[in-house]
Amino acid sequence: MWPRQPSSSACGQADRAISTEYTYVNVSRTGPGAPGAPRETASPGSGGPPGADLGVLIARVARGDEDAFRGVFDHAAGPVLGTVRRILRDPAQSEEVMQEVLLEVWRTAARFDPAAGSGAAWIMTLAHRRAVDRVRSEHSAAQRELRAAVASVDYDEVAEAVEVSLDHERVRRCLTSLTELQREAVTLAYYRGYTYREVAELLGVAVGTIKTRMRDGLIRLRDCLGVE
Amino acid sequence: MAEGRKPPAGRRRAPGRVARLSRADPHTLVGAYVMDAVSDGDRARFDQHLASCETCQAEVRGLREATARLAAAAAIRPRAGLREQTMLAAGQIRQLPPVTRDSPAGRVTRWRVPRHALVRLTGAGRPRAWVPRLAVAVAAASVAAAVVMGSAMHGAESRLSLAQGRSHAIAAVLSAPDVTMMTAEVRSGGSATVVMSHRDRALVFTAADLPALPGSRSYELWLMGPGGPRPAGMLPAARRGMSGPMVVSGLARGDKVSLTVEPASGSARPTSPPILMLGLGT
Repeated sequence: MWPRQPSSSACGQADRAISTEYTYVNVSRTGPGAPGAPRETASPGSGGPPGADLGVLIARVARGDEDAFRGVFDHAAGPVLGTVRRILRDPAQSEEVMQEVLLEVWRTAARFDPAAGSGAAWIMTLAHRRAVDRVRSEHSAAQRELRAAVASVDYDEVAEAVEVSLDHERVRRCLTSLTELQREAVTLAYYRGYTYREVAELLGVAVGTIKTRMRDGLIRLRDCLGVE
Repeated sequence: MAEGRKPPAGRRRAPGRVARLSRADPHTLVGAYVMDAVSDGDRARFDQHLASCETCQAEVRGLREATARLAAAAAIRPRAGLREQTMLAAGQIRQLPPVTRDSPAGRVTRWRVPRHALVRLTGAGRPRAWVPRLAVAVAAASVAAAVVMGSAMHGAESRLSLAQGRSHAIAAVLSAPDVTMMTAEVRSGGSATVVMSHRDRALVFTAADLPALPGSRSYELWLMGPGGPRPAGMLPAARRGMSGPMVVSGLARGDKVSLTVEPASGSARPTSPPILMLGLGT
């Protein structure tokens, strides 16, 4: 069961599991000048039993349960794809990485240790690391540019769906509770895949300061989100 | 970077020594670490620190939950069809057994999914689609020749199931009513055979006696169409002189099959001259 929408002001409402119920907002990208205003076409979630715990699903996946894997996909593919896309940009390569991550979940589900964190954290850690690894490999950089160039043409014709979830709202609110430097340090690292040195360079701030801001920014985010 | 000796994990420090200590204290790296904003060296250093610091393990755990929420907030809906394609691919990947001693949280194993498992094909003017790649195994050549999916697959049993799972796709092409066969010499040596069904818009590619390549290079198969080259997969290492068979589907009008030598990780576009160019008469 998911907690109801928290009161609009608070961002400290504890919601310890990753939200799995999304409302999809279709952002139709019909041309370069198309306004980004979302057209709301709420659709039911993409399947997957509401409230099913990702960790439980992963445990079933470990036993070769394909239905459970389908459930994991429904819960995790959106966040994985969105995060990877932010880092890699190239839509096709992002899909590839998303599939790689999900297949790695399939392959290594038996190695998932619930005591070491939630299923969502496990999967997103895999996803982020993989995206970052790819973005930092030189070969891949060239490959990505090429693909992006090729992909850009027809990509704009494809409607893209953005998931709006409870997480989305709460995270957005919590991010605004960070200092500007904390927020920049966290978002440049997490959503762009930059190293702390790159972030320091980009912001013209000492490396030591950036490391610290990344840490205390995340701590504040964690506390605001009420995750432990 | 000064390694120095490890300061205590505590966060409180004497004023005035902060800067120097923070450079030497791996603990300040925890935020960057959970966001993968570290170099490999930093990571190794922090991993080492983490192993002996329970406070840090707890902190890493908590911060990872926070970053997972960042990920959730960025969610976008995957294209229709990706789920079933991923399911199909999963059916061809052997799952690891549990370990008896636990592995560290979030440990990333270096593993690339089978380029062999997925092939991206672009239909003319359409969003690209992934199709399960039917590389592999063997048709005539026996299950033993089934291709290992990189390091992902371990042991004969996985090869066997892989072969069984895929050979029917090969059989489908081979048994199509309009099947045609073409052979061509490969410029650098060896020969290629294509068995194709126009109706199914699919072909089975095999090659014989291709020159061995250094470990850093592999043969990559392409469909060359009017819209440019589309990667059709890496040729698995040859067994007894035979490479493939690989099944490539989604053929479009005007496609030719081409082969190039690429870095082992594959390329998005050919980076060397084709050593084979075979028109399909589509």
